[in-house]
Amino acid sequence: MITVLIIFSIGLSVGLLSGLLGIGGGVVLVPMLVLLLGVAQHTAQGISMLVIIPTSIVSVWIFYKEKLINYQAATYMAVGAVLGALISANFVQVVPASDLKHIFGIFVIFSGVRMLLGTRNK
Amino acid sequence: MSQQVKYLGSGFIVGILSGLLGVGGGIFLVPIMVTYFNIAQHSAQATSMAIVIPTALVSSMIYGFHGNIDVNLAINLTVGSILGASIGARLMKMIPAVRLKQLFALLLIVVGVRMVLT
Repeated sequence: MITVLIIFSIGLSVGLLSGLLGIGGGVVLVPMLVLLLGVAQHTAQGISMLVIIPTSIVSVWIFYKEKLINYQAATYMAVGAVLGALISANFVQVVPASDLKHIFGIFVIFSGVRMLLGTRNK
Repeated sequence: MSQQVKYLGSGFIVGILSGLLGVGGGIFLVPIMVTYFNIAQHSAQATSMAIVIPTALVSSMIYGFHGNIDVNLAINLTVGSILGASIGARLMKMIPAVRLKQLFALLLIVVGVRMVLT
């Protein structure tokens, strides 16, 4: 019973954050599955992919009704993103990703700080 | 360069990066759309969400082939996440762009720190 409640709460908070910020939610879901439910990292990533699909369909339906989606950007970027994902999925075992991850982590922190400071001036 | 080529190219780079780094594309897509393509924050987030669907479909197929998906747990999680998404997406419209940017910036910092530490 408690496990069911935990699973429901994890799903609820991931969906909430996903709809609110326009992200898939994997960033939150994967660590929660690993830390709270003891799921293996690789399995957690697979589960997260699967959960993201119906979750994003729900948000996109709401955004579609609100006319918030830029279709030109969505179509072309989606085609590019799928091609890129296919390529990197087949090479990810070869490339040492850990150094790359650290470098990009700093870059992501930097963009976050810049974004935060940008809202202060307005 | 035409706008379509720019969209295609940045989508491609994001696809490679997110596959390589194991993070969702939204983390990169929203800032790119806002700063480089001058798309409003709300619209960028909604568009990012639309791009996530086909990308997640392809990725989960790849994961599925390797036999790494616990379908049962995924379905149980989806019950909560669908409810959360319908609340979150409606809540998003009511939040001003500046506040959304601040929330997104905090998310970026948390994700970045996790990337550096793991």
